[in-house]
Amino acid sequence: MTARTIAAGKGAATARRPVPWSKLAWVTLRQRRGLLIGGGILLGVFAVYMVVMAVIQNNAYAAVAACHLAAALTCQQLVNSFRSSYWGGGAGPVIASGGAQTVSSLLFAIPVLLGAFAGAPLLARELESGTFRFAWTQGAGRTRWAVSTLALPAVVLLAATGAFTGIFYWYFRPFLADGQVSEMLPLGFALLGVAFAAWTLLAYSVAAFLGTLLRRTVPAMAVTLVVYIALALATATALRPHYATPVTVRGWNNGGVWVISQWVKAPDGQALSQPAVNSLAQHLPASVQNSPSPDAFTNWLTQHGYTLWQSIQPNSRFWQFQLTEGAWLLGVSALLIAATVWLVRRREA
Amino acid sequence: MDVIETSELGKRYRRRWALRDCTLTIPGGHIVALVGPNGAGKTTLLTMAVGLTRPTAGTLTVLGGEPPGSPGALDHIGFVAQDAPLYRNLPVEDMLHLARNLNRRWDQRRAEDRLGQLEIPLSQKVGELSGGQKAQLALTIALARRPALLVLDEPLAALDPVAREDFLAAVVAAAAGDGISVVLSSHVLAELERVATYLIVLTRGQVRLSGPVPELLSAHGAGLEEIALRHLRAGVPSSSRTEAGQ
Repeated sequence: MTARTIAAGKGAATARRPVPWSKLAWVTLRQRRGLLIGGGILLGVFAVYMVVMAVIQNNAYAAVAACHLAAALTCQQLVNSFRSSYWGGGAGPVIASGGAQTVSSLLFAIPVLLGAFAGAPLLARELESGTFRFAWTQGAGRTRWAVSTLALPAVVLLAATGAFTGIFYWYFRPFLADGQVSEMLPLGFALLGVAFAAWTLLAYSVAAFLGTLLRRTVPAMAVTLVVYIALALATATALRPHYATPVTVRGWNNGGVWVISQWVKAPDGQALSQPAVNSLAQHLPASVQNSPSPDAFTNWLTQHGYTLWQSIQPNSRFWQFQLTEGAWLLGVSALLIAATVWLVRRREA
Repeated sequence: MDVIETSELGKRYRRRWALRDCTLTIPGGHIVALVGPNGAGKTTLLTMAVGLTRPTAGTLTVLGGEPPGSPGALDHIGFVAQDAPLYRNLPVEDMLHLARNLNRRWDQRRAEDRLGQLEIPLSQKVGELSGGQKAQLALTIALARRPALLVLDEPLAALDPVAREDFLAAVVAAAAGDGISVVLSSHVLAELERVATYLIVLTRGQVRLSGPVPELLSAHGAGLEEIALRHLRAGVPSSSRTEAGQ
């Protein structure tokens, strides 16, 4: 009895010093070792490939960039050869099939994969296997345990995906400089700036929250996938174009810029409806209709007093858009993680 | 110090009361056998005592007035849930290290010595241990936290007879050696009869009998099993008597 009283007294004296975060961090990292290795390999393989390709592409593009005042035809051939060799999508050499277009599209899937695999099992596996009854009755208490379990992988994911974005930018830079793609278009936007890390964090938070709510790892991953795809599509098509009022410019850009809409104005200043434009296109002189040049129709329009207009989001708004998107994704993720901690606190065994 | 004190404690899961009107004082310094048929509310009572579940009605305090689940209570209660859940993918060594990092109070030497005596290799994965070894590991971790109260929910259910014997011997040794109060539940009184110094009989969510074993024996003038059986029957309709008598 005496021994117990002393022990309890000692405990009361140290009650103000909870288990330090560094110890909890060890617990979290040890339990997520598999994830760290798996995620590291996934990102590492892509990173090594991209570093190698970045060196090759940047060298190849240096030759293209050096060739501006030289004979136009030679330069055009260089550009075309660069595009078909490294961007892909054309009937170029073998490397084209695995060109930057394909690789970038694959990278699109990484945030949701990484996030779902990292986030869904955090709580779901504890609840599935009953080990939460162990974890939540230790001296650290369940709230501290939950904060460590949720926050540390989030920080590691942000750091890893942030670093990955740096490598990706180096790899992708020649295509931006070439003007063939715009960093504002969905493919580039999602993989550059803060978006790649922010979307990974969002997938992670959704998965962690759903894992706690559904108490099952695999269903949580599946629902995360659905939620993520829906949200990513809605953002790219309905939300992102409205981060700032588009700019109206005269003339039609071909590639390299994010066009929201485009229209033709008649010589009297009236905007033409789409059927009106179509009807114009069908009643062109044969010389224009049969012309091999893709610009034949627009050239004919401008020659006859029509004006071409576009509503665009200029590339100069890249960081404004990135930070807008990063901010709301971070906010939603923080709310989801807070909600997950709340679920853990009120969860009954 | 009373290790667990309840007043009109109740817990309802949807429409069913798992525990109702439970008023109970468990004094310290005992090995308490919490006995009752499956579904009697034993696990419900114990999970509330360790702070995993909140009461629907009434009050419950532990270790002389601490609210369950509070830092003070968590620090001094070693709990082993049914089936001794531990991380199966971790080696024993890392499981110990993990538990050590989740607690302020920890006696690493004692844990390693115990595992050495039990011949449980530190490098073995928890998932590869036998049922008896796993239960012993869970007990080792709970004891390494130097608790004032040890709560064991159905610790013997999954063990073979030899492992049961060893496990109970370890519990008795800890209780005697360190002055730890122990509460363990079982649906089989026979296996706790020899070690229990305090008995609580629970059926259908209500306490039927509670008291120190010597007092119960002298007051009822019968064997402990007989006394318990009588009180188990009192709370159970005749149709389910066979189950209660297990």
